This record gives sequence, structure tokens and C-alpha cells, in this order.
Amino acid sequence: MNTLSKVMMVGALAALAACSNAKNDGLYGDGMGGAGYGSGTAGSGLPSDPSSPAYFQQAVGDRVWFAVDQSTLGDAARATLTAQADWLTKNPDFTAVIEGHADEQGTREYNLALGARRANAAREFLISRGVVGSRLKTVSYGKERPIEICSEEACYAKNRRAVTVLSSALAG
Amino acid sequence: MTRLLLSFLLGWALLIQPAAAQNGPLRIEITEGVIEPLPFAVPDFVPDTQGAADVAREIGRVIAADLSGTGLFREIPASAHIGKVSDFAAPIQFADWKAINAQALVTGAVSVAGKRLTVRFRVWDVFSGAELGNGLQFAGTTDGWRRMAHKVADAVYSRITGEGGYFDSRVVFVSESGPKNDRKKRLAIMDYDGANVQYLTDSAAIVLAPRFSPSGDRVLYTSFETGFPRIYVLDVGKVKRRVLETREGSMSFAPRFAPDGRTVVFSLEQGGNTDIFEMDINTGKQTRLTSAPSIETAPSYSPDGRQIVFESDRSGTQQLYVMPATGGEAKRISFGQGRYGTPVWSPRGDMIAFTKQNQGRFHIGVMRTDGSEERLLTASFLDEGPTWAPNGRVIMFTRESRGAAGQATLYTVDITGRNLRPVRTPGGASDPSWSPLQN
Amino acid sequence: MQTGTKISAVAHVALLSWAFLGGAFRSDPTPFEVQDVTVISAEDYAALSGRHAAPAAAEEVTQPEAVPAPEPEIAAPEPAPEAPPPRPTTPAPEPVAAPDPAPQPVPAPEPVPEPVAEPEPAPQPEPPQPEPAQTAALIPQAPRPKPRPVERVAPEPVAPPPPEATPDPVVREEIAPAPDAAAEAEPQPATAPEEAVSEIVTEAEEGESEDTGEAVQAALAPSRSQRPAMRPARRTEATAAATPATPKPAAPASDRARTRSSVDSALSEALAGSETRAPAAAAPAGPPLSAGEKESLRVAVSACWNVGSLSSAALSTTVVVAVSLTSDGKPEVGSIRMVSSSGGDSGAAKQAFEAARRAIIRCGARGYALPADKYDHWRDIEMTFNPERMRIK
Repeated sequence: MNTLSKVMMVGALAALAACSNAKNDGLYGDGMGGAGYGSGTAGSGLPSDPSSPAYFQQAVGDRVWFAVDQSTLGDAARATLTAQADWLTKNPDFTAVIEGHADEQGTREYNLALGARRANAAREFLISRGVVGSRLKTVSYGKERPIEICSEEACYAKNRRAVTVLSSALAG
Repeated sequence: MTRLLLSFLLGWALLIQPAAAQNGPLRIEITEGVIEPLPFAVPDFVPDTQGAADVAREIGRVIAADLSGTGLFREIPASAHIGKVSDFAAPIQFADWKAINAQALVTGAVSVAGKRLTVRFRVWDVFSGAELGNGLQFAGTTDGWRRMAHKVADAVYSRITGEGGYFDSRVVFVSESGPKNDRKKRLAIMDYDGANVQYLTDSAAIVLAPRFSPSGDRVLYTSFETGFPRIYVLDVGKVKRRVLETREGSMSFAPRFAPDGRTVVFSLEQGGNTDIFEMDINTGKQTRLTSAPSIETAPSYSPDGRQIVFESDRSGTQQLYVMPATGGEAKRISFGQGRYGTPVWSPRGDMIAFTKQNQGRFHIGVMRTDGSEERLLTASFLDEGPTWAPNGRVIMFTRESRGAAGQATLYTVDITGRNLRPVRTPGGASDPSWSPLQN
Repeated sequence: MQTGTKISAVAHVALLSWAFLGGAFRSDPTPFEVQDVTVISAEDYAALSGRHAAPAAAEEVTQPEAVPAPEPEIAAPEPAPEAPPPRPTTPAPEPVAAPDPAPQPVPAPEPVPEPVAEPEPAPQPEPPQPEPAQTAALIPQAPRPKPRPVERVAPEPVAPPPPEATPDPVVREEIAPAPDAAAEAEPQPATAPEEAVSEIVTEAEEGESEDTGEAVQAALAPSRSQRPAMRPARRTEATAAATPATPKPAAPASDRARTRSSVDSALSEALAGSETRAPAAAAPAGPPLSAGEKESLRVAVSACWNVGSLSSAALSTTVVVAVSLTSDGKPEVGSIRMVSSSGGDSGAAKQAFEAARRAIIRCGARGYALPADKYDHWRDIEMTFNPERMRIK
């Protein structure tokens, strides 16, 4: 590659860098889909506003956890998801992507499949509580995006999760 | 049975032999030997042209490193050499090499004309004073000097061991950087020994588990580029790629080529359930191969293309199964303790490598295709994802270290479990896939 | 969709396609040609050099000029413009230069009192001696220090050699100026067998001590203790431990051989029995070699028979190799030939033969210890090299 191409490429990249924020416009929560980590929470409203995504994250709870190699929902998870369903019913302008995750104690492909099971378990539950299926997508990150990075059960327990990431249908 | 009979006859022969007046030669049977690296020497290759000395020496070093790296050979360093080879055509002074116990000797000459590089070499059995095979010459460009060295090493390897080499091969893998919770991943390709790393994608999206096509010209991989895992096929030479499976609301991953290079087998997730499908890469026509409510993934074809080994948790835990390539009834082959995943059929067809989890530890292991003779080769906090060297003698895999600062490193191990060693890569590396030998 | 997003998408696509199509990333293997060096064939060379490493002149053995024949262009695509830059002088990352643990320090000149007579590692903590009845799978249960990696696997474990000794399967004492019958007048450095373990221990088998293994070890702690060597004789329990199914050496202790073989296969019993009983049955005195003499020859050749670098095909090939010895017990290199082979194709047989040939020549370099008065009985030997037991060690 000649020098000119390199210069042009760098320039082009710089120009596109701005786009990463644009992509996040409609995303709330620390979901993995967006390029900007945590930046998505900016502008998501005050936690005190019950219709804000921040409230959903912090007061309702945007995630549920699973036992080792399991995708069944425990009582705590059901309670959280019930509250999520209520919130989604009251705020029909939002859609959600449910992200399934696994801890690092497993092979890559299997963990992708396991994460999908978890995300789907959460989605099925929300649907059973009245959320329209078309508002809910799922994706699995397997073990690719841990929240906690230690190699202890304390961290693993937090990584075996399904996170409901809101996006505003109006923002698109 | 025949062998047993033979042995009895032999025993009987031993019994009566001393009694009978000895006629004919003395007969003995050797059944115990040693297994040790064969000592060899690679004196600097002779520069045939002005200015070829440096590259001649480097080529010799790469050859020696290739051979030593197998664990089957041990280089006798130049500092111990008594003899010197300054003329490729001159007779070898075998006494000099015997004296330092070099059992194999590689001699060569290198000439450079412009960008053109020519390498000639011979392999000698020092103790019998005989040449192993005939001299051979490789010609190419100076850019490709490392490949020339690998070619020579492959020839030396196969002349001594009797099986194909694996040095002139490449590995596609996932290059990793950044902390565990925000790891940047990009596809990269390198020579089998970690040299000549080149990147095939940027790190904007998570990429996983690249897999070479049977001819080494294309790579299948999984990328989160769209936000959802999708399978892409990438032309290695031109780095052109296209997406293969885009069904809305589903994830596709764990792809692998069939030996015909046209069919791809992969996992498709729908509604939380993962099954195995095959697809014609040109027409896009898909066929479902499994339909179970359990996880079916990590499929790998036998070299004849007739069977597929895969993992499934239909029994309650991850285990290995073999089914016909057209789908149908699957037979479980793993029965040991623990969980088994990521099976990969060896290029020779006689073995299956796998990842095993047991009691909190991960192992890379091999077993016969019917599940017998299981043998664990490694043990660590996290080993996974074996891939076979083109000659079916060595396995490369990912080893991840424990803890917050944990990093992924590629390792190789001989299928006997010997010679475990890391592959040097720039930064972290995971999910290796070994190419066939280049031509 | 917002305008910004549209622009972003278009720009992304443009950049990506430019990057990919334009060759920002490019990875072409470098082109290649292959050709036989037509200078001389192995046979011709052998003929010219008279088989015996002719050190002398013979200038016209090879002619480098003969090389440039027409070169068929095999798989030579145009070199890619973006191919990696040539780096003949500064090679890219060297392959992992794992330090070679093997080469022992080079011989030191000072005499070593008795470097030799202790190939029996009995009471030493390292390398660990497997229990006789243990199979490979059971090894990890035995608590023990983590063995350091030893590259060599031999029928008997060999303790680390004295630092002054060069690795050499032929144990010999350092020869001071006192020349023995065998000729060498110049001082010989001491040698000792290279350190060896009797079985390949994989990481999976050895690495238990790290974490989970500890519990297992604690539970099993008393299951193993060092067994004292029963007697200092050569090839005793250690050998038996390593290779329970081997026909036993014809050491005079035939009673012990028999007890052991009762747990072995019937076959090995037959073999062991026959070998040990034979001399008794057939007049031990007289010209033929005694079983012990034959056994020592067998052991001597075994020490150099290295199957570590053989293909799996060659490892399932048995070859019968004929050799003639000179009266001082040295193999005549030119006489070594393959009589027959079984179990593999001709390629595998060739590799197997070459390994056998190396063994015969190398360990016979100083002459096999055979009784001179029975030369007629051992002048011509046929050795069967059967690697069946060496396949997975």
C-alpha cells in the first residue's frame, strides 16, 4: 500500500469514528451490541423517572442470572422478568434485545448455544407475561463478553446472565 | 492370531537354536528401543553467490528450528561442530559428524540472482554414510525465503520419519488484545511457526473460530458484524468475503468445510435451540442434519466426507457423537468422566481430537473414531479448540490463563502428549485452524 | 433512518470494500518451484564414496553446473504487490526457540571415578519409577514431585547422568591413556546413558498437583512408597515395571523370571521361559552363544534403536536386518541389508530399516562385546526389529 492510500485510509477511519456514537443513539444500557461502552447510558433519563431506561436498568433490573450450565429461570429471575414485562407493557415505545451470556468455563461453541438458550428462556417468559414477541430479539455472546473478569465462582455467577437491552423504537 | 503364532514359532526357534548345531546366521529379536530426539546437524548452507551468506544462514536456522520444534529431532549446535561444509559438492567427512554423534546431516547451498532465490540441499544418514533420498532444489523469490526453508525442512522430516511434514503450512487464528471484558478480536493468518503474521479483518466486531477450506484458499468464520453471529467465507488470497447465512432472528456459527470444499456444515440457533445444518456454499441450499431439542454443535467431517462428528448435550451433558454426513442416527462415542466438546477429525482419519472438561480442568485429548483408546494430552485451567497439523501428528490449540489478567496463547503438542510448547504470536491468540500443506 | 446513519452506513461500506478489494489486507503465499537436484543420486554417491564415508579426494563427485535444467514452473502465481517485505537479514519472529534441555555439558577432561555403574535409579526421587502394575492411566494418582521434562523414553528409566558425561547409550568409562584391546589410544571422554524415563508422561497425567490434584493426592497419599531395590543386579525391577510384557533377559535368575511371567501373558512366559531355560537344556558350554551373551547383544542394540522419529506406519513394520560383524565385534556397514519386512509398505519398511541400521552401526561402533572364541557363531547375524511394544509408550 502506498503512502497516499495509507493517509487516505487513516482519514477515512477518523471520519467514521464519529459514527460510533450515532449508532448508539437508540440503545440504552450496557449492552454489548453498541461500540461505546457505558456511553449508551448517557441521555437515558433519570432513574427517578419511571419511564426512563435508567429506571428500567436500576429499579426494575435489566438482568437475570443462571446456575452453572443451566437455562432455567429461578424465582428471583422470574420476579425480575415479571417487573420487566410490566415496564415494557407500560412503555410500548421501546423494543429490546435480550443478550445471553455464559461464564468462561466451557467451550466456545457450546457457550454460544448456551447463551442463546438463556436469552430465549428470558424472552419466552416476557412473552408469557404479555410482551409482544416482535418487540423482543435475542442474541448470544457465549463467553465473549464477561462483566466480571476474575476466574472465581463469584465472577462466573455474575457472568451467567441474560440482559434485556432497551432500544427506543422512536430513535431509529 | 498370526502374530501370536509367529511369536510362538520364534520362541520355539530360540529354544532349539542353541541346541541345534548352528547353521545360518545368529538370530536375535529386538523389541525394546528408545524414544529420543534424533540428533542432527545443519551446518550453515553454502552461499553460491555473493551476498547470499546471510540468507543462507537464516535458511539453515529456520530448518533447524522446524526440525527441533517437532521434538523428534535435536539439533547439535554449530558451536559443537568439528566439521564444516564449505562446498556443497564435496564429499562429506562423515567422521567429523559421527564424532559429535550427529545422526542426520543436512547440507545445502543457496544462490541469489536479483529477486530469485535457489536452495539446494541433501540429507545424510551419518552413521551409514548414505544419502537419504536425492538432492532437491527449490527456486522462488527472496521474499519467500522462509517458505523455502520450510519446504526443505518438510523434505528432511519426511525422509527421516517416513511421513509427511507440516512446516510449509499456515495457521489462521483470532488475534486478541485488550482486557477480558472488552477483548478486541480480529482474524489473522501466519506461518505455522508464528512468523509472517497478517491481519485479515479489523477488530470492529467479535470474530470467532476461523476454519480453513480443504485447499487452504478460503476461511470460514463467525462474526458479530451485524450484531448477531453470522457465518462468513473469506478468500484468503484476495481477502474478499461474503456472508453465508442471514436468516432473521437466528444465529449461525461453528462452520466447517466438507472435504469437497463445496459443502459447509454449521450450527443454526432458532428459538434457543441449536441444531446442525449443511449448506451448499454456491447455491445456498440448506439441509437440516439434526433435529433435537438439545444443543448440537461443533461438527467436523471425516476426511472421506462420509461422517460427521459433533457434540451434543442430548444425554444431559456435552458428549461426542458420530453420524452419517447426510444426517440420521448418531452414535455416542465418548463415555469417560466429564464433558467432551469441539471434536475434530484427524486428516489421517484414524483419530478424533477433542476438548474435555473434568473436575474443573480442561484437557486436549485424542481418541479412536469409535471412542476407544482415549488419551489426554494436556491439562490446564482452560485448554480448548484443537486443530490438526496437515500430517496428523501434531495438534495446536488455545490455552487461556486464569484470572483477571488471563490471556489466550496458542500451543502445540505431539499426539503422544510429548513436546508441549507455545507458539509465539504478537499478543493474545485463540481459535487456531491449521491449513493443509501449501504446494 | 436518520441521514447521519445513512451517511455513516454508506461510508462504512465504501471504506470496507476499499480496504478489502483494494488490498489493504492481502495474504498471498509466495510463489514456488521445486526441482530435483540432478547432480547425483544417492546410489551414485554411495557407489562413488565406496559406502565407507570415503574421506579422501574424489573432487568430481558432484557438479553444481549440472543443476540448471529447465525449471517447470510449479504453482507460480504472480507475486502479490503487497507481499511481505523481504527480510533476509532480520528474520521475523523466530519460531519459539524452546531451550533444548538435552545437550549435556561437553566432556570435562578430569577423570571421573565411577560415572558408569549406576544406571539403576532405584532410590532416587527423580525420575519417578512407575509401580510395576501401574498403567499409564494410573500414574497421576501417585504423589510425587513433578518430573522435569525428559525427552528420552527408554526401556529402563535412567537417572540423570553425571554432568561431565556426554550422552551416549554406550556406557563407557573415561579412558585414560591405558589403551585396551579395542585400539583407541587417545583419551576418551566419559559417557553415560542419557537420562530417560520409561514412559511418556503427558501433561494431563503429571499436572495434577496444581489444584484439583491435591485432593486426590491427599486421599491417595499412602498408596505408594519407594520400593527398595531388591538387589543391585542389572535390569531388575525397574525394567519389569516399565515393560511388564517383555521377554525377560536371560539373567540366571530364571525362577524370578518365571514368577513374574505368571502374571504376564502366556506368550511372554513362553518366550522368557525358553530363553532362560535354553542354556540349561542344551549344554551351556561349547561353541554356541549362551543366552546371556545373546541377551547382552540384544540389549546393546536396543540402546541405540531409536524409534522416536519414526512414522506410525514404520512403527507397525517389523524388519529383519542382516549384518556381518568383524572379529572385533564391529558391524561391517556395507553388509547391512534388509532381509524381509512385514506389516508396512515399502516406504515404511525403508524408514524402519534405516532406524535399525543406525542402531546397529551406532552401538556397534566400538565393537559389540561378544566372546572372540565363538566368532563363527556371531559373524553373521539376523536381527528382527519388532516395534510392536514401542508404538505407544
